[in-house]
Amino acid sequence: MEKNKTSEDSIKILNRRSFIIIIVGAILSFIVSLRLFSLQVINFNFYKKKSVENKLSIKLTPPLRGDIYDSKKNLIAGSSSLYEFAVFKNLSKDHFQEIKKLDSLINLNLNFEEISKRLKKYNEYSGFSLSRASWEQIVEFEKNKFLFNSIKIIESKKRYYPYQNFSQIIGYMGQPTQSSELYSKGVFHLEKSYEKHLKGTPGKIFSEVNAKGKTIREISIEKSIKGNDLDLTLDLSLQNYAQSQLPRNKKGSIVVISVSDGSILSMNSNPTFDAQIFEDRENNKIQDLLNDDQKPLFNRAFSGFYPPGSVFKPISALVGLQRNLIDPQKEVFCKGHSSLGDRNYYCWKKKGHGKVNLKKAIKESCDVYFYELAKKTNIDDIASLSSNLGLNKEYDIGLSNIGKGLVPSKKWKKAFLEESWYQGETLITCIGQGYNQTSPLQLATLYSAILNGGKYPIPKLDKNTPTKFTGKLLNNEHQKIIVNSLNAVVQEPRGTAHKLSISNPEFVKIGGKTGTSQVVRIKESEREDDQYKSKEIEERFKDHSVFVGYAPYDKPKYIASVIIENGGSGSAVAAPIAHKILDFAFKNNV
Amino acid sequence: MFKEFKSIFNLNWIYIFILLIIFWIGEINLYSAAGGSLDPWASNQLIRFLFFLPLFFLVIMLEPKFIFNFAEIFLILVLIGLITTLIFGYTGMGATRWIRIAGFNLQVSEFTKIALVIFMAKYFHKLNAEKTIGLFKSILPLIVSVIFFVLVAIQPDLGTAVIILALGLVVIFYAGIKLIYPLISIGIILSISPILWTFLKPYQQNRIQIFLNPDLDPLGRGYHIIQSKIAIGSGGLKGNGFLEGSQSSLDFLPEKETDFVFAIFSEQFGFTGSILLISLFFIMFLIPVLKTFKLTQAFNKIILFVLSFKIFFEFLINISMTIGILPVVGVALPFMSYGGSSLLSNLIICALLLNFMSINEKKRMFS
Repeated sequence: MEKNKTSEDSIKILNRRSFIIIIVGAILSFIVSLRLFSLQVINFNFYKKKSVENKLSIKLTPPLRGDIYDSKKNLIAGSSSLYEFAVFKNLSKDHFQEIKKLDSLINLNLNFEEISKRLKKYNEYSGFSLSRASWEQIVEFEKNKFLFNSIKIIESKKRYYPYQNFSQIIGYMGQPTQSSELYSKGVFHLEKSYEKHLKGTPGKIFSEVNAKGKTIREISIEKSIKGNDLDLTLDLSLQNYAQSQLPRNKKGSIVVISVSDGSILSMNSNPTFDAQIFEDRENNKIQDLLNDDQKPLFNRAFSGFYPPGSVFKPISALVGLQRNLIDPQKEVFCKGHSSLGDRNYYCWKKKGHGKVNLKKAIKESCDVYFYELAKKTNIDDIASLSSNLGLNKEYDIGLSNIGKGLVPSKKWKKAFLEESWYQGETLITCIGQGYNQTSPLQLATLYSAILNGGKYPIPKLDKNTPTKFTGKLLNNEHQKIIVNSLNAVVQEPRGTAHKLSISNPEFVKIGGKTGTSQVVRIKESEREDDQYKSKEIEERFKDHSVFVGYAPYDKPKYIASVIIENGGSGSAVAAPIAHKILDFAFKNNV
Repeated sequence: MFKEFKSIFNLNWIYIFILLIIFWIGEINLYSAAGGSLDPWASNQLIRFLFFLPLFFLVIMLEPKFIFNFAEIFLILVLIGLITTLIFGYTGMGATRWIRIAGFNLQVSEFTKIALVIFMAKYFHKLNAEKTIGLFKSILPLIVSVIFFVLVAIQPDLGTAVIILALGLVVIFYAGIKLIYPLISIGIILSISPILWTFLKPYQQNRIQIFLNPDLDPLGRGYHIIQSKIAIGSGGLKGNGFLEGSQSSLDFLPEKETDFVFAIFSEQFGFTGSILLISLFFIMFLIPVLKTFKLTQAFNKIILFVLSFKIFFEFLINISMTIGILPVVGVALPFMSYGGSSLLSNLIICALLLNFMSINEKKRMFS
């Protein structure tokens, strides 16, 4: 009996314990339900978004890049097909072995470490590009195709530059540098500055993917939109012709612009390079190019700055006329040098020009006339007129490394050299030496400003930008005097470039100004040294030959600015080149 | 050894009906996990189910007396099985959990749960006379539970081991140990848990750390739980609909046919479906439990209560894992996770429950 009693008590305990466990179970179920409610009802939108992000893949398809044309719609940069070896990880487990096999079969010089690293993170259903494939390599690959399950040849687009003479203006494309960039972009010159205009809009393929990135179905496709084309003011035939006229073994540059609207018709620099090697990834050639101490990537037309030499003289003359410092008819006597204080400043013609008025001073490029003028001139007037006539300016025409050059002034010297200005420096500035630094493009613009009477069109490369004028009007009389003198340089006997009209009488008649610019390395003191001329002058210390001319002289349409580094005198080297080019431009009506 | 055949008409048909519904939901779920295909999981699981049915009815027809008498033998059999597993076991996924018997890979640890509960039910039944059970009397079952816990934990299979230990403790608690002892034990465990931590294998420590913060390893170990939560959360109130779960069909959900079946279910049927499923399991738990209140024999009561609790407990542990409130330790969802041993052991449990629910206690059964 006693035993039964305890047994009943213990059964009661079991029942009580069941209640406890049932209640604990119910509480746990309630906690789980609460959690489910939080996940599925309260945070539903968050997880729904995550779920959609998981399965939705947006694949961008590269757009075609806009083409670049010259002013007559000749294609100078376009797109062409390109073939690449690509590996698809999903097609074979041994894909990495196959990459090595491919490399030994066709010598591709692949960097396995780099490839393996990048491949690890790569979607296995998208082709990973290993290397460009040339025709010979494709043929070799096709013969051995049975060896490769995961490697295929895929087609894509590359930039195509049919004429290498445009490389220094159009620039080139570069590989994406950030992972967010999907395809190459312009990194130099017009390709860079017109990137937005040219690049187009990528297409989008929206698709549902599984956890491994395999596309299950395509949801929708947005087609890519080709980039805008770009029409340039350049003329294909003139650009090619001008390049052929630059002496092969000399550095130099030629710029031809239109007088009426500032269009740049051709712009050459020697040595040059071929932008195609960047597109074709010819790494050896690229290395050679980058290491070349002749700097072929450097476009001298707008990045090269030189003392302008005598082609600068019209500015000094105009300042003299504007400030009433000279009477154009009044003659100055040139005995070969002029002195200021205890220093002598020499004319290029040692025995002197004799009596010289303004016209003769420009025509025969007398330095002494301008020294005498300079003695009365304030350097800041020179600086201000130079700036009004297009020097000391950066033209925003989409070119990389375009420079401003230098037009010295009192303020500039104080700021940069922390010295005050000496009148002697005005003397050499007035003949285009000294601190003056101008580019061939700036010199062409300067002459456009003179021919246009002060208000001149800003140079342009993009044919579709409207012509914009800048500058201040010159006194009509003064402008005529200067242009007459410039015409006389070529057209009248004893003009420094008169030889041109004698040797090529059938060419278009031109006006212009010769210049022989001192290489900076030769100091003023050495120039004064009588021993200077007789010294063995190293090639690199030879004068630069400069000429800026226009044609036809009576109704100017074209301006050509030519500089041949270390070429010698302007009349002998640069002037004949300019004449030929102006004649070509005129006869072909570019 | 067997009951009279007519006792089959006394079975609790409601329980059988709920069991069939849950199994059927599991089948549908495996069908959708395969992207709307019977192959490879749903059909296999159905074949197993049909194959196990004779055994299911055999267990239903066993005399409770027979089970009572052989309790120790069962325990010795699983002990031998576990030791065999450790020595000759078949290794998969970094653990030695299976032995091959007649062409089947058998996970002995699943059956350990049953044998342990039966053994302890008999032990406490014999102590029936005592009002409350003191510490001393609880030590033997505790030691036995710990031995089996260790044998399974070193396979290693921490999930199953923890369930085994938990079931042992539940039996001890249910059988009436003085409340002071469990409270003291919890205190001790909490205070020595930092030391226990050092005994865990690095991958287990890792799992627990990632459980606490899945974003530590979003593409590795944390990936499971992150993707599982996305699947469940994106199901919303009503679910995406049958076969419309993108997390599942696009393979974002790993181990979706085993440990993470609930995520597949919940993605398709939403909060509504999940609550329905929880309710079904809760009812399935309560039916045998309600019967225990009418019984007076400790053995019957313990078997019915604890084995019924086992199924519900595993269900809760599994879905807690998939919703990120417990670390992922590898506990199957009863009748829904793909896997033979789990299905077989749970069917045996249901058969035992049906068997004991039909007991007539008029006569004294065990002595």
